[in-house]
Amino acid sequence: MKIFNNLVITLVIVFGLLNGIMAFLGQNDLSVYFIVDAIAYLIITLLYVYLNPRARGALNAVSGVIFAGFLVIVAMKVIEILK
Amino acid sequence: MNNPYRLLGLVLSLSGAVLAPVFYFIVDSVALTGTAISEVILGITCIAIANARPYISPEAARLLLRTGMENTSALIEELGLTSRAVYLPSSMRGGKAQALVPLTEEGSLARARNSLPGRLIVRYGAGTEDMAIAITTPGSVSLELLESRPGPAPGEIESALNYLLHGVLDIAGGCRVDIEDQRVMITINDCRMGYEDIWFYRCLGSPVASIAAAIVAEATGSPVKVAEERTEKQKSLIALEIVPKD
Repeated sequence: MKIFNNLVITLVIVFGLLNGIMAFLGQNDLSVYFIVDAIAYLIITLLYVYLNPRARGALNAVSGVIFAGFLVIVAMKVIEILK
Repeated sequence: MNNPYRLLGLVLSLSGAVLAPVFYFIVDSVALTGTAISEVILGITCIAIANARPYISPEAARLLLRTGMENTSALIEELGLTSRAVYLPSSMRGGKAQALVPLTEEGSLARARNSLPGRLIVRYGAGTEDMAIAITTPGSVSLELLESRPGPAPGEIESALNYLLHGVLDIAGGCRVDIEDQRVMITINDCRMGYEDIWFYRCLGSPVASIAAAIVAEATGSPVKVAEERTEKQKSLIALEIVPKD
């Protein structure tokens, strides 16, 4: 399926670029890598609007898990700041 | 394990899951650990979309399509029908979209009643020449894949076509829809089921034209005819005519 191939290739390129840029900038916090990748993932999967309902449902489930991880990390950071 | 996405997903997820702690604790590189986590995300995505692939192979789908096409071709050729099919919205066929192939050129679908009987041979008007064969086309069946009925605006028709042709069926790239008076011009990129000069296509249009005509008929609530179909510089150009009602 060409649209699936495009989605995977887009994610590979975007993740590669983002991780490369953050490594180049000397980012040493692992949670920042995850948050940036999570935001990129959520944006890209939202932009692919022409997926069939089953693919859309499956990607929504993955997005939900990633977003939950994102919220956990943000909550931990907020707790750290408040302490 | 002949699903390539599932295999790729498993390889990426497992290798990412193994490499992430190695990079973090042993190599002590946050950048590489971040890359390994991205690998896991990609792997899970590939596994998710592997389950969204169709259950039957493209060869099996082609087999079914050819069987239907050859049977319909035989019927049309045997009856000597040379008229172009007119795609009707589901409102005119008791909730099921179909195409009518007039038995003679003299009939006029502009005189068609709003609701036609659900039979193979249909009388669509008061005149003796107003007779047609009702055929279920690839376009008619594809409407069931739409999540909602599109409106008559070009943007809505374009969105429905992109969803079906590119997202669900994967038989074309993007498309553009322009509407001028009673004429709808559709430009389709990277079409993988093009026009062939065979009786079936001359009557009903190519599968892509059939899908386009069925969607436009459903969107506008009016009968639609495939007026012209040609390929130009790797783009398929389809001209549809909305049949005005008397």
